[in-house]
Amino acid sequence: MTEISAKYEQLIQDLRRDFRPQREWGEGRGLFLVIGHFLVGVAAGAWLFGLIFNYTPGLIAGFILAGGGGIAHLAFLGRPERFWKMVRHVRTAWISRGFVGLTLFLVGAALYLPPLVVTGWPWAADSVPGYLGWGMAACGMVVLIVYMGFVYEASKGIPFWNSPLHPVLYMAYALRGGIAALLVTMALFDAPGAGATRLVTIWIAITAVVIILFALEIQGALTGGNPAARQSVREMLAGRMAVYFYVGTLLIGLVVPLVLLSGHIAPLSVGVLAAIGLFSALGDFFMKYTTIRAGIYLPLRPRQARHR
Amino acid sequence: MKWGMVIDLKRCIGCYGCQLACKAEHGTPPGVYYARVLKSEEGQYPNVRNLFLPVLCNHCEDPPCVEACPTGASFKWEEDGIVDIDHDLCVGCRACMMACPYTNRYFNDQPSHYHPQGATPYEAARTEPHQQNVVMKCDFCRDRVRAGKPPACVANCPTVARIFGDLDDPTSEVSRLIKERSGFTLHPELGTGPSVYYLPA
Repeated sequence: MTEISAKYEQLIQDLRRDFRPQREWGEGRGLFLVIGHFLVGVAAGAWLFGLIFNYTPGLIAGFILAGGGGIAHLAFLGRPERFWKMVRHVRTAWISRGFVGLTLFLVGAALYLPPLVVTGWPWAADSVPGYLGWGMAACGMVVLIVYMGFVYEASKGIPFWNSPLHPVLYMAYALRGGIAALLVTMALFDAPGAGATRLVTIWIAITAVVIILFALEIQGALTGGNPAARQSVREMLAGRMAVYFYVGTLLIGLVVPLVLLSGHIAPLSVGVLAAIGLFSALGDFFMKYTTIRAGIYLPLRPRQARHR
Repeated sequence: MKWGMVIDLKRCIGCYGCQLACKAEHGTPPGVYYARVLKSEEGQYPNVRNLFLPVLCNHCEDPPCVEACPTGASFKWEEDGIVDIDHDLCVGCRACMMACPYTNRYFNDQPSHYHPQGATPYEAARTEPHQQNVVMKCDFCRDRVRAGKPPACVANCPTVARIFGDLDDPTSEVSRLIKERSGFTLHPELGTGPSVYYLPA
């Protein structure tokens, strides 16, 4: 069976189901969207903490990750050559706002970063172009941290995503991802100083917030009365996405970093901090992947009847 | 004016005539269904009955797909309330598919033919106008309607289960049927204001 006919057969099977899984975001080329959202979130977080800790390699990492995220978004689009048209609907569409945010961020970072890195650059970081770049990148960063969760929250067809907690959860993920990126860059570029200890403390606090928000979202989906949202939770905890959730999100993204942090395996060092950041980021990726793939469309039938 | 459709579930026999008429009218490729019929059964032997639910784009009053579209490719005609797609603007982000609570949008990324050996000359001619890697959906057969004809699914329904008309006109047949036979919409709780009504079976 060719890939195309397999996809067609899959659609026919899905259309017969009461609970039809969404496959456009997360499967096939849709995986690029998950990668794009993950990279852009981490980039914005890395930029934020790079500014807070005055850490230029973190800013560079944020810029590179955002560029990678933009390319991943383009790879996902059915018609990437028309990407610039996404600026047209900023008034209502969160994707448009995200596109504007990413553009602001990349242009701003391209203005602000070079004088910090290259000696003899035509303008300084504390000149007008530098301040302009700082401002644009900061605006873009805020949009990037905020917009992704709202893209999902606006999806009325997928009740599991259509939760007011989703945007807050995605913001927390962006911050957690930013810290992870900084821990890795600190290990790659130079030895971590006192900043690393503070970063780890913030990582623990944000991880706790993520766990609480996620538990609330699951509880809301299970008790909210929407059968499609309940089915999504089942898919994630005991269905086709369970392996990704337990191994990717819980084990890699939570248990391994906490065990490493406890110092039972090895004393805290540059390498261990980098490993914590890497595993934490991987876990965040799997969290987004499982949440997106677990999306189930709202059933159309007014009441649930046995399907033929 | 606001075009709308009433589907009488008591009259629908699940013949798929609407689905086929739509395919023939629009030449949609495999995997793209502007009109579908959902079949299910309820009860236990010997008291069992078939349920048919024909579905299509609901051409909502407040369409979430239009709100979610980043390019404005999904839009609503002001003069008749039909929700449409400008395929030249669509970037294929599929946000509208996630936003539509009626799951009646399809992404056309399939080769436009039904047979393994390739498209027949007829198929090629019919499907050629469709762009690939964009989202497609029902447009209430806007070209037919503008020419004074009913949509293909309405014209070809053998049991006259589908009635098309102006929802803004209180004397139209659709308005009368909705009022007299307690017409209902799918997922009214979402506040989208669908233009497709169902009469109870």
